Amino acid sequence: MSEQKYDHKVINELVEGTLEWYQIKNMMSSHKDPERFKVYREVMQERVSWDDPILLPLGLHLYIVLKENGERIVKCDCGHEFCDYKENWKLYANIFVRDTEEKMNEVYPVLMAPDPEWQVIREYYCPSCAAQLEVEAVTPWYPVIHDFEPDIDTFYKDWMNLPLPEVKSKG
Amino acid sequence: MAKAQILAIDAGGTMTDTFIIDENGEFVVGKAQTTPNDEHIGLMNSSKDALDQWNTTVEKEFPNLLAGVYSGTAMLNRLVSRVGLRVGLVLNKGMEDMHRMGRGVQSYLGYSYSDRVHINTHHFDEPLVPRKWTVGVTERVDLFGNVVIPLYEHEVEGAIQKLIDQDVEAIVISLLHSYTYPHHERKIRDIAERMIKDQNKNIKVFATVDYYPVRKESHRTNTTIVEAYAAEPSRETLAKLDQALREHGTDFNLRIMASHGGTISIEANELARTCVSGPIGGMVGAKYLSDNLGIKNVACSDIGGTSFDIGLITQGDLDIESSPDMARLVLSLPLVSMDTTGAGTGSYVRIDPNYGNITLGPDSAGSLVGVCNPESGIETVTVSDCHVVLGLINPDNFIGGAIKLSREKAYQAVKEQIADPLGMSVEDAAFGVTELLESQLRNYLESMILGKGYSPSQYACFSYGGGGPLHTAGYTKGLGFEDILVPAWAAGFSAFGCGAADFEYRYDKTLDLHLPEKASDEEILAAGKELQAAWDELKGHVGEEFKKNDYTGDDVKYRLFYRMQYQGQLNDLEIEAPISEFKSVNDYYTLVKTFEDMYTRVYAKSALSPELGYSITGAIVRGVVDVPLPKIPKEPLSDETPPDSAFLGTRPVYWDGEWIQAKIYEMEKLLPGNKLDALSIIESTATTFVVPPGFETYLDEHRIFHLKELNQ
Repeated sequence: MSEQKYDHKVINELVEGTLEWYQIKNMMSSHKDPERFKVYREVMQERVSWDDPILLPLGLHLYIVLKENGERIVKCDCGHEFCDYKENWKLYANIFVRDTEEKMNEVYPVLMAPDPEWQVIREYYCPSCAAQLEVEAVTPWYPVIHDFEPDIDTFYKDWMNLPLPEVKSKG
Repeated sequence: MAKAQILAIDAGGTMTDTFIIDENGEFVVGKAQTTPNDEHIGLMNSSKDALDQWNTTVEKEFPNLLAGVYSGTAMLNRLVSRVGLRVGLVLNKGMEDMHRMGRGVQSYLGYSYSDRVHINTHHFDEPLVPRKWTVGVTERVDLFGNVVIPLYEHEVEGAIQKLIDQDVEAIVISLLHSYTYPHHERKIRDIAERMIKDQNKNIKVFATVDYYPVRKESHRTNTTIVEAYAAEPSRETLAKLDQALREHGTDFNLRIMASHGGTISIEANELARTCVSGPIGGMVGAKYLSDNLGIKNVACSDIGGTSFDIGLITQGDLDIESSPDMARLVLSLPLVSMDTTGAGTGSYVRIDPNYGNITLGPDSAGSLVGVCNPESGIETVTVSDCHVVLGLINPDNFIGGAIKLSREKAYQAVKEQIADPLGMSVEDAAFGVTELLESQLRNYLESMILGKGYSPSQYACFSYGGGGPLHTAGYTKGLGFEDILVPAWAAGFSAFGCGAADFEYRYDKTLDLHLPEKASDEEILAAGKELQAAWDELKGHVGEEFKKNDYTGDDVKYRLFYRMQYQGQLNDLEIEAPISEFKSVNDYYTLVKTFEDMYTRVYAKSALSPELGYSITGAIVRGVVDVPLPKIPKEPLSDETPPDSAFLGTRPVYWDGEWIQAKIYEMEKLLPGNKLDALSIIESTATTFVVPPGFETYLDEHRIFHLKELNQ
C-alpha cells in the first residue's frame, strides 16, 4: 500500500503540537494509518525517562505500564506509580475540589461558572510532579468517575494484531 | 484562412492560455508562462503561440478581433494566500469582532462530506481584516430601516483617523441593516473621503451600500472587503492589459467574465464578482449553444481532473445563487449556480483500510494524471490509471502525445493497491472503479435535477470538459435524458463559453415589501412604487456602467427581475418580471401570478399558500448590449459511414468482463452525418469520447455528437 505513513519524527511533532495546521488537517482527513498505534506507543516510550514498557496511554501524562513482575500499573510520566490499572488511579491522586463561588472565580470570569450547589469541579494532581492529570465536572455528591477500564489483551490480540510489549531483560 | 474573431484569455497562476476563435468557430490555443507583475507580456507571448499555429501574427490578426474576454486567477490567489491590500474596517460599535469570528459555516466551507461531519477538522482562516484595523462607530438602524440610535458623528473622525494612522490602503464601511437605510454609511464615507483628501492620502473608501445593498451582514461585509482587498489591486493590471492590446491594434472593450454569467468592462464599479469566473465558462457556453439550437432545458456536466461540475439551464436561463461562497468566505454575489463534487479523472482510488471498500477522492492528482504518468511522482492509483489499464485511453496519444503514459506502471499500481487486496483481477478491479465513479456521478446528477423539482426527461444533457465524454454514457445511462450532446470541440468549451458571454451588468437590491393575501389597492400601489424605485435605481447603475464604454440609453436592453416568496417561508424565487414598469394594481397581480406559476413548477401546485400573503424580497436589473459572439460551426452533412481517414485502427478494450476490439477514430476527421456504433472510441488531443455497448452516436451538422442509448 502506498498509504501515507508517518515516521517517528512526525508523530513526535504531533504530540509536541509543532505540526502546521495543514499537516494536521491532512492527517485527520486521511484514512487512519494502520500502524499509527505502534508508532505512537514507541514515540511515547521515547519521551519518558523510565524503561517500563508502555502498554497503553491513559491521559496527557498517564500510562499503563508493564512491570518486571508482570503487574500492569498506572504511571505518571514523572515516574510516580499509582496503582493496578484495574483500580481507579484518581483515588491515589491529590484532589482539589472547587465547590465555592470564590474558588470557581479563580478560573472563570464572574457569573460564568456553574453554581457550586449544582456542580463542582474536581481536579486531580500527581503527588510527585503536581501535573494536573484530569478534571471532572460533576454534581457535588457524585462518586469519583472511573474513566476507562481497558481490555488490554483483547485490544492487542484482536484489534491491533500486535504482540504485547515485553519487559527488556537487563544486562 | 479564416479571420480571427474572438480572443479569450485565461490567465492562471502558472500558465496564460489564449483561445482565438475564428469566424467558423474553429479555434487555436496558445500557451505561455504567466508574468504576474506584467500580465500583458504573458498574454502577448501566449497569443503569438496561438497564432503561430495558423501561420499568422499578432500584428496581422489583432486588428480583426471583434471582442476580447479575460478571466484570471490573480484576485482569487490574493484571497487564498492573503496578500491583498491593507484594509481598514468600520463597523457598528460593539460589533468589531464580527468579521474575525465569521459565519460558522466558514470553518468547513470547501470540505468533503466526511470532514464536514468531523468537527476536529473545522478551522477558521485568518480574517482578511485583522482586529487591529477594525474600528467601531455608534449608530443603530433596525431591520425595517428605522433609526434607533442616530449616527454619533463625533466618533467618526477619531475612528477614521485611527485607520489612517495605521497606514491602511483602503477603508470598508459596513453597518447593520444599511441596505434599508444607506445614509449613515454614506455620511461616514463622505467624512472619511474628506479627511483622506485633507491629509493628502491615497485611500479608497468602500461603503457596502454603494456596492452590495443586500441582506446578510457577513456576506455583504465580506464581499465589500474582497472588493477592496483583492479586486482593487487588479484594476491597474487590467488597464495595462487593455493598453497592450490596443497598442497591438485591437479596437474593442476588453471585458472580464463575471460570476453572474455575463461579461463586464474592466472599468466596472464592482470587480469582486470577477473572482469566481473560471468554472462557469462552460455553463455560459452551453447556454449560448442551447439558445442557438432551440433547447430550453439543459443539464450541463463537466468532468475535469479534480471535480465533476453540474449546473442547470431551465427555460433558457441559468440558475443564479445569490449567496455563494469562495475561498471559504460567504459572499453576496450573483453566481451561476453549480454543484461540484470532488470526483474527477485524477481522483485518487483507495481501499479504506477499516472497511475494505473502494473510495474515490476527495483529493486528486489533478493535472499530474496518475501513476501512469512516469514524471508525476504520483504513487496512489487514480481513475485515469484505471482508464489506461482498460485500454480506454491511448497511452501514446494522451494530450496529443504530450505526456507518454506507462500502462505497465498503471497495471502494477492497480494490481498492488486495488486488485490484490480485493482478490479480483486487475481488469475487473479497474472496470469496477469506473463503474463506481459513474454510478456516483449518475446519482449526483439525478438527485440534483430531482431535487430542483424537475425530471431528467425534461432535459438535454451536455457533456464537455477533458474527462466528460469518456464517462458520458456511464453517468447518463438509464436516466432518460431527452438528448445527450457532446460538442466535438468539448475540451475548449470553457473558453468558447467566455467568448460567447453577453456584455451584461446585473445589480441586486434587497427589498422588504410584505402584502397580505387580500391587500388593499393603496397597499399594493405603495409596494409597487417602492419596487419601481428600486428598479429605477438599479437601471441607473447599469446605465452608468455602460456609459464608461460609450453605450447610451437606447443601446441597452434591460431585463427586470424580482424575488418573491410567501410570507414567512424561507426560500424566495428569482423571476423575470413580465412587465416593463410597475404602473397599476393589475401589474401586481401579474407579478403574483408569475410567481405562483414558477412556484408550481419548482415545488407543487398543492403547496401554493396564498393565505400566508406575499413578500417581495428583492429587485434585480440586468442590462445587455450587443457584442459580437462566436459563430457555431455548421457544415454540410455527409454519409453515415465515417471516412477511412478518420479510422485509426482497433485496440483491445476491457469491458464488463471481456476484451473487445474497439474501433478507434480521430475526432477531428469525422464528418457531420457520420454514425458510429459500439464499441467506438473517438480520440482528440484533449479528450476521449467512448461509445460503449448499448449506445450509438451521430455527429450533427454543428459538430455535436448525439449519444443515444439503445433499447430504451
